[in-house]
Amino acid sequence: MFKRKTKAERDFDKAEQKHEHQRRYKTTVGDVIFHTLNYTVFGLFTLMCAFPFYYIFINTISENTLVSRNMINFYPQGLHINNYIALLELNEVGRAIFITTARAVIGTLVMVIASSFIGYLMTKDEMWMKKFWYRFTVVTMYFNAGLIAWFLNMMMLGLTNNFMAYIIPGLVAPFNIILVKTYIESIPIELEESAHIDGAGLLTIFTKIIWPLSKPILATIAIFGAVGHWNSFVDSLILMNNAPDLHTLQHRLFVYLTRSNNLAALMQSGTSSAAAAAALAGVTNTKVINFTISMLTILPILVVYPIMQKHFVKGIMLGAVKG
Amino acid sequence: MKQSIASRGLYIVSRLGIVLSMAMMFFPGINPANINALINRNISLFTSGVAYNTLISGSERAIDRGWVSGSSYMMLFFASMVVCIGIGLTGVYGCLSVGNMKCKKRGNIFGVIGGITQLLGLGGIYLSYLMMSNPQNDVQRLSPAIPDGLYFFVIIAVLIFLSSMIQIFMLKDVPVEEKYEIELKYRIFMMFLPFAALLFVFSYLPLWGWRAAFYDYQSGIPMSADNFVGLKWFRFLFNDPGTQRDIVRVMRNTLAMSALGISTSWVAMAFAIFLVEMRNIKFRRIVQTFTTIPNFISWVMVYAIAFAIFSTDGFINSFMSAMGWLSGPGTNYLMGDGNIWLKMLAWGMWKGLGWSAIIYIASISGIDPQLYEAATVDGAGRFQKMIHVTLPGLMSTFFVLLLLGIAGILNNGLEQYMVFENPSNTNPITVLDLYVYQRGIENGLIPISTLIGMLKSLISVTLLFVANQASRWLRGGESII
Repeated sequence: MFKRKTKAERDFDKAEQKHEHQRRYKTTVGDVIFHTLNYTVFGLFTLMCAFPFYYIFINTISENTLVSRNMINFYPQGLHINNYIALLELNEVGRAIFITTARAVIGTLVMVIASSFIGYLMTKDEMWMKKFWYRFTVVTMYFNAGLIAWFLNMMMLGLTNNFMAYIIPGLVAPFNIILVKTYIESIPIELEESAHIDGAGLLTIFTKIIWPLSKPILATIAIFGAVGHWNSFVDSLILMNNAPDLHTLQHRLFVYLTRSNNLAALMQSGTSSAAAAAALAGVTNTKVINFTISMLTILPILVVYPIMQKHFVKGIMLGAVKG
Repeated sequence: MKQSIASRGLYIVSRLGIVLSMAMMFFPGINPANINALINRNISLFTSGVAYNTLISGSERAIDRGWVSGSSYMMLFFASMVVCIGIGLTGVYGCLSVGNMKCKKRGNIFGVIGGITQLLGLGGIYLSYLMMSNPQNDVQRLSPAIPDGLYFFVIIAVLIFLSSMIQIFMLKDVPVEEKYEIELKYRIFMMFLPFAALLFVFSYLPLWGWRAAFYDYQSGIPMSADNFVGLKWFRFLFNDPGTQRDIVRVMRNTLAMSALGISTSWVAMAFAIFLVEMRNIKFRRIVQTFTTIPNFISWVMVYAIAFAIFSTDGFINSFMSAMGWLSGPGTNYLMGDGNIWLKMLAWGMWKGLGWSAIIYIASISGIDPQLYEAATVDGAGRFQKMIHVTLPGLMSTFFVLLLLGIAGILNNGLEQYMVFENPSNTNPITVLDLYVYQRGIENGLIPISTLIGMLKSLISVTLLFVANQASRWLRGGESII
């Protein structure tokens, strides 16, 4: 029954395999051209994505006189970190960093707690009119009343010039609810059942069993939430008109950039007025400041990015499933 | 223990009252604390009871000049707060009323207390009204009046108070040892209830703001029958030549940029297909890491980068002068309106390409490797495999994203265009979202911008619905949302 191949046969097979392998993976001229092109194009695009960050960074740590003479292009000269120190001591910026950090931390924390709890409740088919409430929640992702109606609403609720405007509206995040719900549904129901038999209530089951088991997804939504908070700037711009204390870092950066760009425009138009001359003096100095604030704003993202990278593919795939 | 019909009816009445008063707490039109002409008409009872500064925002001058005493405002603030607390207590009553008999009995006590608290608060509001209409004050300027909202809330409070009072006597006694119990389905629902309220307030209530499109709205002046203008702004939008020119221009920008974005959406797919061709895993990872970063920085930071590279003192200019290709001051490439659509497309790609490719990369890794082996055996080359194996595997993902893109054709987003906009390029860069922002927030023309936003939302929802239906049709019942 069991026929054993002779040595000659085995040698023949081996040779055949080798030949097949060569045929399959032979490097042709076309391959060389393809790979060269492929690597070059991707390399260039990667460089385009990475270089600006590097360029800004080396300009913030180089000798300021060289920077304002546009001498720093590819490598830093005269290293120092005085720009960062000076900027952090600047009241406006320090305050903005504080506010932005506060909203990122508090906002993310309450969002994760609330959204994961709702996600958990949404896995319970026993809930009264569950289908309706789930749709009630999810529909808000696809529909909004528009910027002005939103603004009028926030005004009506007294959430203008108020720190709470950063926190409360983001509490219930439908997309994150879907992610958590989908994730919790993949946890074996027996765990919950056994806890229930042991006399645990809904809240106990949530905090003692569901919460620890869904750490990966909670980390995912927390990181995305924090980045969202760190990046958001339209709410600060529109709602915090009379409370400059509450402006976020992004808002500050935007103001600085547009201000100096307008000065630059003034310069370019070539009006030889005193205003333009003063502006010219200002611009060369603002370059360093702008770059340093930009770097301060970007830095946290770059720091959490490696942690994020682990999570986002999972997040995006779960999102595509959409329970 | 069956409930009698009378008791059931009473519960329905009081629950309705509770839901109504809870919702009305957030509507400025029916604010009982709105007792004189100086108080901002656009704040709700809830705001009046929570934010003192907002409550007196219109009356600071009056208080400073002694037209009215500040204490009456304090009174008003605390009274509103008490009303809110009372409504909260009736909410507890409403929640407990779905439980067993013991819960119901306890709930009725909450109902009675809540009703009384609410009435006390409303009495406080009336008291502060009396204080304000004291002839010592400048009654002419204040013109105190009792708002309709006060009557409305009094009626509801009395209703709830009475019904819970009657219930206390109607319900049979329960044995002491009985436990508090609410059916599981209601218990879960009640845990969700606060969040449902938040959702309602922040996602559904803004729809109430749409009515600004039908009024001659000006900040601080109430929307009332006096300045109701019906469809005036609709006519204005379609008849006023200046606005019409604006709309045509803005729509052209919006549609052109969306069309550019949609017609280049295949690039992300190509990016993924060619990326997985790379044999060097390390290099591949580096590419993926660096091309995804831009997705996580905000548009302001993208602008900061654009500024660092393309402004007068930016990299391009300083590099060119270092090479000796440029003498004199450099050009600010962020100024001027040449090729703005393409520039915006390029920035959009710079930011989003690596990220949008991820979903395709994940899909490619999900394609059965046997398909590739079979194709190889059949003698397919690299490109043939791409076209005949990879592409078909990605088509459904691509299709879904394409449909979503088409449905979102009006939603270019605000931030990108806002940060790149400047006086020299405002004409070709203004998309619908930016136009609404400029009109409504910068120029303060609330009605017309509300109207545009409203039409935009309605059209977007319709488009999404159509796209979803198309997907069901073409993909055998699979929806995209």
